[in-house]
Amino acid sequence: MNPLALFQMVGLFMLAVGLYGLIMRRTLVGMIICLELMLNGAGLSIVAAAQLTPADAVLGQLGALFVMGLAAAEATLILAIVLIVVKRFKTSDAADVSQLKG
Amino acid sequence: MEILAKSAFVFYALIIAAGSLMAVASASLVWALVGLVAAMFGVAGMYLLLAAPFIAFMQILIYVGGVCVLIFFAIMFTRPPPDAKAPRPHPFRKRLHALLAMLVPGVILSRVIIMDQPESFQVPENVDPALLGKGMLGPYLLPFELISVALFIAMAGAVILAWHKWGNK
Repeated sequence: MNPLALFQMVGLFMLAVGLYGLIMRRTLVGMIICLELMLNGAGLSIVAAAQLTPADAVLGQLGALFVMGLAAAEATLILAIVLIVVKRFKTSDAADVSQLKG
Repeated sequence: MEILAKSAFVFYALIIAAGSLMAVASASLVWALVGLVAAMFGVAGMYLLLAAPFIAFMQILIYVGGVCVLIFFAIMFTRPPPDAKAPRPHPFRKRLHALLAMLVPGVILSRVIIMDQPESFQVPENVDPALLGKGMLGPYLLPFELISVALFIAMAGAVILAWHKWGNK
């Protein structure tokens, strides 16, 4: 395998493990952890593709930076939402939070 | 030199594998977060191997320094009460679904990666951070501005959500 494929396999491993955890985890916070794992794999894949092929390296590195920025924004918002869910339902178990306002 | 690079790659890959498995499989959320931090450090090492030191430092600064602290806050705020009932075991169907969700994209994408390998450099080229800055203020100015707007909206939304009185109607 060439170097690009090796790096891509590591990124793919993080995606697959993150998907498994996203379904297996019970609590919302555990799901965020798996989500961040998948985003990290995506960033690694982007940077590897940009650095190891003739593609524009600046574009790839900036893309990875934007992924990080979006992950930070998403983490703050999810923290606020999880806090509200815990206040309202007294649990952060994803299966118990099934009541809709209607 | 090549052996050194290969052994560094294997070392970081092992850190990532161990960290990811710990993040997914450990029963305690705090240990899962420790695994996530280890995996993030491994990814930062991979960025260094890819000759992208700026991204590696940003990875440590933003992910390990920012996002992980946020997740740790979330873990601490949502601790279950000590008299909480023990979690029920996973039903077999759920395990099956999780395995399917892992294997379907994993097998398909790994087959694509292995069968269709594009031309790859053996040694990546280092990009000067000044070029990244020029890129942000030149051709990629719009995404740069949009990400700042997205960050601002997320922060403002988080503050508004947390201030609003919920659940005591």
